[in-house]
Amino acid sequence: MRMAGAGLSDDELLEALRQAIAAREAVPAEFIAAARNAFAWHDIDAELAQLTYDSMRDAEPALSTRTEAASIRALTFTSGHLTIELEVGTESLVGQIVPAQTALITVQPMSGTETNVQADEIGCFSIAPIPAGQFRLRCRSGAGVETITGWIAL
Amino acid sequence: MRDDPSVIALVARVVDGDQQAWNEIVERYSPLVWSICTRYQLSRHDIDDVGQGVWLGLVEHIGKLRQPAALAGWLATTTRNECLRVLRAARRYDPDGLPAEDLMPPDPDATMIEQELIEAELNAALRAAFAELSQPCHKLLSMLISDPPPAYTEVSKALDIPVGSIGPTRARCLGRLRQSPHLADFLSDAAGDVGARGTTR
Repeated sequence: MRMAGAGLSDDELLEALRQAIAAREAVPAEFIAAARNAFAWHDIDAELAQLTYDSMRDAEPALSTRTEAASIRALTFTSGHLTIELEVGTESLVGQIVPAQTALITVQPMSGTETNVQADEIGCFSIAPIPAGQFRLRCRSGAGVETITGWIAL
Repeated sequence: MRDDPSVIALVARVVDGDQQAWNEIVERYSPLVWSICTRYQLSRHDIDDVGQGVWLGLVEHIGKLRQPAALAGWLATTTRNECLRVLRAARRYDPDGLPAEDLMPPDPDATMIEQELIEAELNAALRAAFAELSQPCHKLLSMLISDPPPAYTEVSKALDIPVGSIGPTRARCLGRLRQSPHLADFLSDAAGDVGARGTTR
């Protein structure tokens, strides 16, 4: 490796600078604006439940029969405290919190208003209709633990 | 660069909820995300989709990064995964049902990601160094890198300096750029790549 100061001619340095500026200018302003706005979804109070299973992504295609391929989609989100399992039905989303507990589930769509549903004592809840765009679920357990799923698009 | 302390500081501020620090991260790394998307030949709509996935993912994960200094690497890998996700989704919903191989552009391999990463970090350092140059140097170099490059007589007229002093001023300004702390650490490793890049495009 050469040292930069010695290795780069003035012409090369100027060309590198031109490319660096061009690379930034190639990025549309709206792309930058959307990236900045993503920070509004910052939520420091809730623990993230990450997507740990998605039947669409993780199911083994070679093993699935026609019926299995047509079966409903299942997603699992896991945090340090709990697991949220979701099944995508034709008209609703059915979920369960494990370990079983009551909780307030808030559906947070990326655009649109939030809605709440209650999870019963065995942790089951149902969301209808199925959210159209990207959304995530915020779960406040009876014990006061806040959990939020990653973004979901169905 | 990988162990840039300024990135570690930015990440810490973002974790504390600092929107300005977030904006700086976006400013620095959005060209990396964008350029990887263009390598996958995604449509503009799909690129926006990928961008959303990448930045929302970062909002979620930034407090958990094992090595905050490796943020650029995390972004590059996540962008690649998001691009592949979008391409897979497009294939699934393709109405003509073409075989996957016909629809999927060849997956640019990890080498491409590594190249984009090195280039993006160098570019970010160059832009940071450039932004801190004195006003006269900034103006002169801005003119000299414009496309098409202007004649020295034009530069002389626009900046009101004699044609004869443009060459020496250019050299002095590039010398200042070279000495920037942003580049001092960085270029010692990447100099070979910069030189190579200059000749391959």
